[in-house]
Amino acid sequence: MNEDFDRILDECIDRMNGGDSLVDCLSDYPAYSEKLRPLLQSTYDVQKTYAFAPSADGKRAARQKLHAALGKRRQGTAGSPLLRLISRRAFWATAALLVLAIVGSLVVRSVFNPPALVPSPDGNFAFLVSDEPDDINDFEYLDITISRVRMQTLGSDKWLEFTPDIRTVDLTRLQGEQFQEIWRGHVPAGQYARVRIYVSEVNGKLKLTGQTLDLNVPGGIVHMLVPFEVTTDMVTIYTFDITVMATGDDGTYMLKLQLNESGARQEAKLLK
Amino acid sequence: MNKGNPQDDHEIRLAGLYEEYYDKIARYVYVRIGNREEAEDIAGEVFLKALKALDFYQERGIPMQGWLFRIAHNLTVDHLRKMDKRTTTPIESVELLAKDDPADTSEKNLEFERVTEAMKQLTVEQREVLSLRFFGGLTAKEVGDTLGKAEGAVREMQRAALEKLRTIMGVQRS
Repeated sequence: MNEDFDRILDECIDRMNGGDSLVDCLSDYPAYSEKLRPLLQSTYDVQKTYAFAPSADGKRAARQKLHAALGKRRQGTAGSPLLRLISRRAFWATAALLVLAIVGSLVVRSVFNPPALVPSPDGNFAFLVSDEPDDINDFEYLDITISRVRMQTLGSDKWLEFTPDIRTVDLTRLQGEQFQEIWRGHVPAGQYARVRIYVSEVNGKLKLTGQTLDLNVPGGIVHMLVPFEVTTDMVTIYTFDITVMATGDDGTYMLKLQLNESGARQEAKLLK
Repeated sequence: MNKGNPQDDHEIRLAGLYEEYYDKIARYVYVRIGNREEAEDIAGEVFLKALKALDFYQERGIPMQGWLFRIAHNLTVDHLRKMDKRTTTPIESVELLAKDDPADTSEKNLEFERVTEAMKQLTVEQREVLSLRFFGGLTAKEVGDTLGKAEGAVREMQRAALEKLRTIMGVQRS
């Protein structure tokens, strides 16, 4: 009974979409009329409420843009099959590229092993990862793996290091105000000059195409050169805010550091 | 029979769908964001995005029109997220045309609020089904293919959504 009714209701909605009136549908199904009428009336109310005709100018302009893009695309793929293949390969190559806005460019490999910091739930230092929305919604997931983090004390060559408790985070789940704490522990009080974030892997999957992309951070390290202070009576929250952006019309994406959202701030330590 | 390049066929198909689906996509987006101009901008963007991703479109998956609505859905979600950051509430901020009669406009505003309030009380999936059916003009089967659901399940969801709307709007009226 319900299946029949669902089918008849569906047919009536199709007919209304095609321009038939509510009365036409009801007259064809007198046995269901009483039950159909209120639901079709709701259909009519909703359709009427949101009905609008897009402007002819807007539609024309959008059509022109589409046709221009079609023309450009046809020009781009014209030529021999070899050229087409090269073009496709170039796409994949560029898609795999990652350009990271790094403060400081060249990485000098460390020749020493700094002391490892100990994680602790009541530590005075927390390291967070977050993500500005931008084009992250193109991705079903975008996993970033941070293998370790090093901090250099100001005015010396002394480095400290910790390994995140949570090494891989999905940036699609960390948009806007969302964040993931990946490590918390005790850090010696003092001034710190810089932070190095060792990114071992970034890979994601595009929603539209299902294509997976591997993105590389040049040198595998992100340098943060903004000095900050760690104290014993406050918790220093250090945020690494990163965003992914489409770079143009060729399906290329790049990661960018959100400088204004990244860095250290201090919060009161909760007393136990 | 001379069979064309599938990519060329897809381009021709996409250009053809523009004429049939631009208005529908604009209305589908409008229901979600409540701003006509922005809905039209997004509708145009849907086709440009689709063109960029055309190499990856596979006929075996969802129908191309369903694929366009998926893109529209994603762009709408992005748009709403950006609007959220600006702390606006788009759907309530809909303005009716200035040339409308003031008394008529007031009545339309009330009706708009009534329907919008009722729509908000549906589940996300129910809203999506109604939007795709009523404004996208997709059939129950096409909606099912787009959302990954059986046609029967879509029909059932559609009926349940309409029953709920009727109840809510009936209570509002009384």
